[in-house]
Amino acid sequence: MFDKTIHNAAIMDICIKTLHEVNCDFVGFAFQNQIGPDIKWHVVAGNQNEKYKHITLRYGKGIAGRVISTGSPMTIEDFPHDILGKALEYPIMLAEKLIYAYAVPIYLNGAPKGVFLIGQRLRKGLSEEEKKVIIIQARSIEDTIS
Amino acid sequence: MERLPEKKEISNYIIQSSEDEIKRIAFELHEGVGQTLYSVFTGMQLLEANMTDHESKHHVHEMNEILEKTIQEIRFLSVELHPPTLSSLGFLPALKSYLNLYKATYGILVEVEQVGQEILLPERHRIMLFRVCQEALGNIAKYADTHQVHIKLEWEKHGVAIVICDEGIGFDVEKNRHKPGLAVMYERMKLIGGNCVITSTLGKGTTIQLELPLQ
Ligand SMILES: Nc1ncnc2c1ncn2[C@@H]1O[C@H](COP(=O)(O)OP(=O)(O)OP(=O)(O)O)[C@@H](O)[C@H]1O
Ligand SMILES: [Mg+2]
Repeated sequence: MFDKTIHNAAIMDICIKTLHEVNCDFVGFAFQNQIGPDIKWHVVAGNQNEKYKHITLRYGKGIAGRVISTGSPMTIEDFPHDILGKALEYPIMLAEKLIYAYAVPIYLNGAPKGVFLIGQRLRKGLSEEEKKVIIIQARSIEDTIS
Repeated sequence: MERLPEKKEISNYIIQSSEDEIKRIAFELHEGVGQTLYSVFTGMQLLEANMTDHESKHHVHEMNEILEKTIQEIRFLSVELHPPTLSSLGFLPALKSYLNLYKATYGILVEVEQVGQEILLPERHRIMLFRVCQEALGNIAKYADTHQVHIKLEWEKHGVAIVICDEGIGFDVEKNRHKPGLAVMYERMKLIGGNCVITSTLGKGTTIQLELPLQ
């Protein structure tokens, strides 16, 4: 289970490393709280404000909520033009003014319990190489918390 | 000859019937689907507690977690559609439950200041005020780029005044007053005999003033 006091520093390193290695402006890690059903953004890098601290992810909604409920990666190419539903269903895109995002699930004991999200404020997109780097980083987050 | 209904009556009728439908769906989610899932959840918890096989127990535990999150999301959805308290307890309790959800969803803090005691308005007026506030708050989450909102409610003998203030990026109101979201805010207030004034300064923020005199 993700424990802030133990895992924060290591995951922060991974986020910062991703911010430098991949062409992006924002990196965030959200995970289910130790107690109760809430999913929160626990570690972020490149953020423009502190809104993430107060956000509780909505299960099955938006990019992060959907990645956790489906357990599969998801891309938003051109927010808010290519989305399912309303812009208001994508709080982290709005809070950090992201146009492009790629998010992958974080598994724990075989179930998706968190999300690793990479965002851009100017749309440049990600190469297949960069997406591979992100998946590797997500695996190392899983190794850290398992 | 039969009198043709006025445009205002037609608008009111259209809004009323869609609000009735939204209320019905919200109620069904909250009391129907939500309650049923909750019964399943408590049953499954009992099942989990009595299981001995480690693997099956883990599996059931995972299912319970999904169920719990789904139940929570259904409650949230019903609050967004039509807070259960809007029809029973009144405007302020409904607004407050919506604001809690709003804060948790968008990470934007909302300060509420109330002057006077709530006057029980007709349900139709409560719903209209609620929708206008919801639109204003939605716009703040989408465009204002700020983490704080201030709402002031003033209840007086002759009416209620609501002011929603953000210190965000601001926008040109003249250029946008015919956009659907804002136009509907003006129209809704007019339909219930009230008034809506939107002022905004680029770089300073936006103020929305709603006034509803009591008949
Ligand atoms: N609080 C605010 N801060 C900054 N800009 C705002 C604010 N409220 C509205 N705007 C601007 O006014 C425009 C019109 O708002 P309106 O609600 O009519 O449209 P919308 O929110 O873009 O679409 P819709 O409400 O139909 O989903 C917005 O596109 C935005 O540029
Ligand atoms: Mg709007």
